[in-house]
Amino acid sequence: MRILIADDDVLSLRLLERTLERGGYEVTAVQNGRLAAEHLCRHDGPRLALLDWVMPELDGPAVCRQVRQKRQQVYVHMVLLTSKESKQDVIEGLESGADDYLIKPFDSAELKARLRTGLRILRLEDRLVESREDMRFKATHDPLTGLFNRGIIMDLLSRELSRTHRENGCTTILLGDVDHFKDVNDTVGHIAGDEVLREVARRMVASVRSYDYVGRYGGEEFLVVLNNCDASEQILRAEQIRRAIASVPVQTIQGPIPVTMSLGVLSSRDWGLRPVEELLQEADVALYKAKAAGRNCVKLASPHVPPNVLHQSLEEQPK
Amino acid sequence: MQPKDPTPEPIVNEAELLARVDNDAGLLRELIAIFKVEFPRHLSELREAIGQGNLKSVRKSCHTMRGMLLSLGATRATAAAAQLEQSGDSSDGAELKSALARFESEVMNLLPALEACVAKAGP
Repeated sequence: MRILIADDDVLSLRLLERTLERGGYEVTAVQNGRLAAEHLCRHDGPRLALLDWVMPELDGPAVCRQVRQKRQQVYVHMVLLTSKESKQDVIEGLESGADDYLIKPFDSAELKARLRTGLRILRLEDRLVESREDMRFKATHDPLTGLFNRGIIMDLLSRELSRTHRENGCTTILLGDVDHFKDVNDTVGHIAGDEVLREVARRMVASVRSYDYVGRYGGEEFLVVLNNCDASEQILRAEQIRRAIASVPVQTIQGPIPVTMSLGVLSSRDWGLRPVEELLQEADVALYKAKAAGRNCVKLASPHVPPNVLHQSLEEQPK
Repeated sequence: MQPKDPTPEPIVNEAELLARVDNDAGLLRELIAIFKVEFPRHLSELREAIGQGNLKSVRKSCHTMRGMLLSLGATRATAAAAQLEQSGDSSDGAELKSALARFESEVMNLLPALEACVAKAGP
């Protein structure tokens, strides 16, 4: 475990450094409060600190205050180690954000025991953060494919359309559906069907840019949001996804299964400012056309813009 | 009649110091080497601050030296430093000078006592 120690007294600093190294710590030693705060506020800085109170540039309590204010993503356990020993000092030190307070000269065994307490708190915090991140992932992702779930992909699409409209850009919506997926489930079973969906998801993610979004829209339906996608490229990009899925059969426990996907494509530039649900409805119409055209193909949603909406969208274009 | 103090406090609490350095003679030598460089520098700053009547600097120098002396188990010198640091709160020049004299007399024999301690530490 890394630990930062700060003391302007070089002798005490060296003694502390050696004691902690013997205890298995990786020690960073600094001689003033400013340097201590700089190290502790770095995103990859130490999360355990022993700080003297009286130091040049920034005293121990000021370091605690600065760290509490600036490094909020992760918790830093800070201990004040000082010869200031009045009750008032202890209260002031703890109020500044320190977690513990030790009076100089330190007793080696007590110091190590207090630091172990700090480590227990940090480990507990790590576990809590891990659980929170796990819950956040589960709340936003589809458990089978690991893609964004329907709620999140809809939110992302909505946000992206607003941004696109503000910046007069273009967002492309791809709505894809695995062809004859019911037959897959019926003939080879749900386990192999799940394998197909997972592999389709993986291929879709691999076919888009890191800043595009892919989500599971329904059973075998997927929604892709292509950010800043030029209208001239949208069919090409949809074709790339279609080919990635159709090119090689998916390996399952029931053997290889050929899979294809039909896609409906919609460019926000063609449709102006419309509610997300309406645009998705249009993309779905295009998807239906792709199915009707024999599947394993891409169809573009052509606008049927009511005059009043067309008027509105033209008015909103930057001059 | 006041009872006589049977055993005056030692210059260095050897047991405490040896425990603190984990009986490591090498580390103790290293600390003494740092002390030889740092302590005279702070003492000289303290004398200058007292001469100039700069009480803030007096308190600061005393505080730093007290930390060093505490680490070295120099019990008597630590107490004298604490007294001097307290005197730094008053603007009485005579009191400060007298506290300085007491402090200087306490630290005078410190180095030999520390070096004697090295011999008692492990290899």
